[in-house]
Amino acid sequence: MSATHPPRREDSASESSTLESLQARLSPSYLHVFLTFARNSLVRDMSFRMNFILQCCATMSWAAMNFGLFKIIYRHTESIGRGTGWFEDEFFIFLGTIWIINSFIQTFFMANAEEFSELIRTGNLDFALLKPIDTQFLISFPRVNWAQLPNGVLGAILILVSLNNLAADPDRTIYISIWNIFPFMFYVMCGVLVMYSVMIVLASTSIWLGRNQNLYTFWFYVTNFYRYPMEIYQRNGIGMALWATFTFVVPILVVSNVPARVLAQPMGRSWMNWEAGYAVLAAVGSLVASRYVFNLALKSYRSASS
Amino acid sequence: MPIIEIKNLTKSYRVYQKQEGLMASVKGLFKREYKAVHAVKDISLEVEEGEFVAFLGPNGAGKTTTLKLLSGVINPDKGTCSVMGYTPWERKNQYRRRFSLVMGQKNQLWWDLPALESFRLNQHIYGVPKADFDATRDQLCDMLDVTRLLNQPVRELSLGERMKMELIAALLHKPDVLFLDEPTIGLDVIAQHKIQEFLKAYQQEQNNTVLLTSHYMKDIEALCKRVVIIANGEIYHDGSLTQIVDKFSGDKVVTLHLADSVDRDAFKDLPNLIDVTPPKIKFRVQREKVGAVLSGILNSYAVDDIVVEDPPLEEVISNAFSAAEAAGKVG
Repeated sequence: MSATHPPRREDSASESSTLESLQARLSPSYLHVFLTFARNSLVRDMSFRMNFILQCCATMSWAAMNFGLFKIIYRHTESIGRGTGWFEDEFFIFLGTIWIINSFIQTFFMANAEEFSELIRTGNLDFALLKPIDTQFLISFPRVNWAQLPNGVLGAILILVSLNNLAADPDRTIYISIWNIFPFMFYVMCGVLVMYSVMIVLASTSIWLGRNQNLYTFWFYVTNFYRYPMEIYQRNGIGMALWATFTFVVPILVVSNVPARVLAQPMGRSWMNWEAGYAVLAAVGSLVASRYVFNLALKSYRSASS
Repeated sequence: MPIIEIKNLTKSYRVYQKQEGLMASVKGLFKREYKAVHAVKDISLEVEEGEFVAFLGPNGAGKTTTLKLLSGVINPDKGTCSVMGYTPWERKNQYRRRFSLVMGQKNQLWWDLPALESFRLNQHIYGVPKADFDATRDQLCDMLDVTRLLNQPVRELSLGERMKMELIAALLHKPDVLFLDEPTIGLDVIAQHKIQEFLKAYQQEQNNTVLLTSHYMKDIEALCKRVVIIANGEIYHDGSLTQIVDKFSGDKVVTLHLADSVDRDAFKDLPNLIDVTPPKIKFRVQREKVGAVLSGILNSYAVDDIVVEDPPLEEVISNAFSAAEAAGKVG
């Protein structure tokens, strides 16, 4: 028997102390596991070359059409909403931010959330539950969909070009420095966390429903509302209701708006207000909520078939 | 102290009863009938360290459910269970690091990648140091003769090869307790035999505790001294293989090799005749009458050779299952 074999019993004190030291040594390395997931996904994607290329093309053409659509809209109007400050360049910064958040979600989580739903239906979640590592971590990361990453890069390019336009325009007041990248990335991450949590909660419902194929559909409905500046909702009753729902119930609006404002500064508005604080709170709160729902759901897992 | 202690474990499922036909399906949208399926009923069991125990039982008897409870994949309704001092469904990492569950019906390897990549992932999940990982992997691959297949995508492996890889993936962290749920299902006789040989050698070397479920008597015969028969979610018998044969089969199978001079027609009317292929005659005799019957025959006829055997295990077990089922229906 090799020396690393854990002792069989913790009868005596000396044995239990060696056991503890062994456990410290044998604890999983989350970073290594994640890197292995990322690497394996890349190897897998590369082995289905055409599929990978087509997927890249599809996501990038979606971005191009999305961009084209708003170009057309801005032929008709100067800004989205009167007096909101979301003129064309500002709005494209907003759009770029959305692309970056979406790209994170679709690269790292979308395929996994769908897979999670499938694991529940087929009973293959068993394997995840057997592993000595956090189960939510294990089901959140196994597939990295590299083909969705180009959208994020396009988003970054769109932001840089628009920022450049804004800086060159003498009529605009924009105070931007290289340091803004840090609060921007921080709030983008808050956004990713909130969207991730929404997705985990949606996927967890599969445990009770037996099957949830509506993940993409739900995702589409929900993201439809976070893709616009919140000012456009704040006009009448229905708008306010939507704004309140997607700010306080499912806090997705605030996490797309805060990072975009960090860079776009519509009407020179500062991003440092209650919404910024609330975005952090929302990110932490949704993560806690998603963990709660996930663990609750696991309790009801039945492990289909043998 | 036993390494596995199960006390009064109970688990039932609520299953939706779907009626036939469209109207019934529409009705099912509003009001559903559920039936409780008692997968495991009040099971108590103790297993000592280093034992190799077989769970036998017809489909749906509760074998797999018991293994799933023991590995903490599902929670029980009632009862307690301790494996190496841990309660499985608390899913403590310390516990999960020390056992493995292999399911012949499910696969944990990455389908599109070589098995080696899945092994490496397990190495990181279990935090096995690289040197140990390499040594264990080489040893296991050697024992199962799959080293040359390590770089082939799993989807291109045969079922038998894949099962071997599944076993390796489950053993890389050297579990103290191993749960095997039908590890040889669907395999051909040669592949089954290979896996049996491996499991036997591995268990003897590591002295770990193994619980195995299988439908193949050959697996059980080759590997397990202790057999637990489960039917209808209850333990019906717990003991050695020999005890099972004694309990569920009152008969012995006698094969006579007759001398050429003997008139074979004399045996035509023998009760419980199984087979006549001259010069051999095979028949069944009640255990306690074997002596009397044989001495009678030996006194009257010239016999070259006599073999007295237990009936085939398949038959004994099938008797045991029917007895268990019948008892279940009565009880």
